[in-house]
Amino acid sequence: MEITASTQNDITVLALQGRLDGLASPQLEQRLDALVAAGTRKVVLDCSALNYVSSAGLRVFLGGAKKLKSAGGRAAFAALTPAVHEVFELSGFLEVLAVHPSAAAAAASLA
Amino acid sequence: MIPSHQLTFVEEIALLALDDATGKRLPMPTLGFSYALAGAALCDLFHLGRIDTDPAALTVLSTAPTGDPILDEVLKVLAAARTPEPVGSWLGVLAQRSAWLEAAADDRLVERGILRREENKVLWVFGVRRYPTVDNHERVEVRTRLRTLILGDDLPDPRDATLLSLLCACQLAAVIFRGPEYNARADRLASLAKMDLVGREVSRAIDALGKALLGASPLRL
Repeated sequence: MEITASTQNDITVLALQGRLDGLASPQLEQRLDALVAAGTRKVVLDCSALNYVSSAGLRVFLGGAKKLKSAGGRAAFAALTPAVHEVFELSGFLEVLAVHPSAAAAAASLA
Repeated sequence: MIPSHQLTFVEEIALLALDDATGKRLPMPTLGFSYALAGAALCDLFHLGRIDTDPAALTVLSTAPTGDPILDEVLKVLAAARTPEPVGSWLGVLAQRSAWLEAAADDRLVERGILRREENKVLWVFGVRRYPTVDNHERVEVRTRLRTLILGDDLPDPRDATLLSLLCACQLAAVIFRGPEYNARADRLASLAKMDLVGREVSRAIDALGKALLGASPLRL
């Protein structure tokens, strides 16, 4: 999986590309932990090029959103591909996480 | 490695399934408890990074020992598979070993000083084993944490989501968390229970078994 980071004002956008599985999820977990530790409080996870997420990926998404919220911040998920949307729906993540149709909409929700 | 102070999911399910006062198992379907213990072992291995799952299959990521003999034994069984199998299949395999899982977890809880073992005879013949509580701190702490989660609106910690999902799957949540305040949060509980894919599969497997047993019953109208 590739992670591309960009920053707009105080919002960090992480664009995820490829597969978020048990092998790739530690990479995202470390990235999110580092952002929180560095004081970042608003993160958009752009999933427009993420074509697979496993249980390990979901755990990192939930754990990351929880850590951000505990630190007084927020995470917003954007542009789920059909495969990722299906897993979010199955696991009830659509009901508890902030999911938006685009990265721009997700960023606007955090502004 | 699991921190030595932290209970495994197998231990937590075994502990929460016991009545504080009597040391006997709380009322719940036996098959449900077997599948919940099997699911708990898979969840432990998942949170330790040894396996990963998706709706289609369970994948072994690492066979490195966890330091927990119960989980290492389960990991060996999973690693011996020739082809990836779905979580539901593994639950069926491991549920057949649930008596071993339960006994091993109870032994561990006794070693930790949380429970003590009592052997009695009923009618001077039948052996009955009970596990009265010695130290209720762990059970109270877990219940309090999950209660706050169910009644509040906060995001769950991934471990709490897993535990709640397993408790819901074997209907233990309905025994532990009952009353009007929980009835009003039924939607929240259902939503939290879906958040762990293994827990969701445990629930599905138990539902399927229940339907199959109902279908096989000669009393069916």
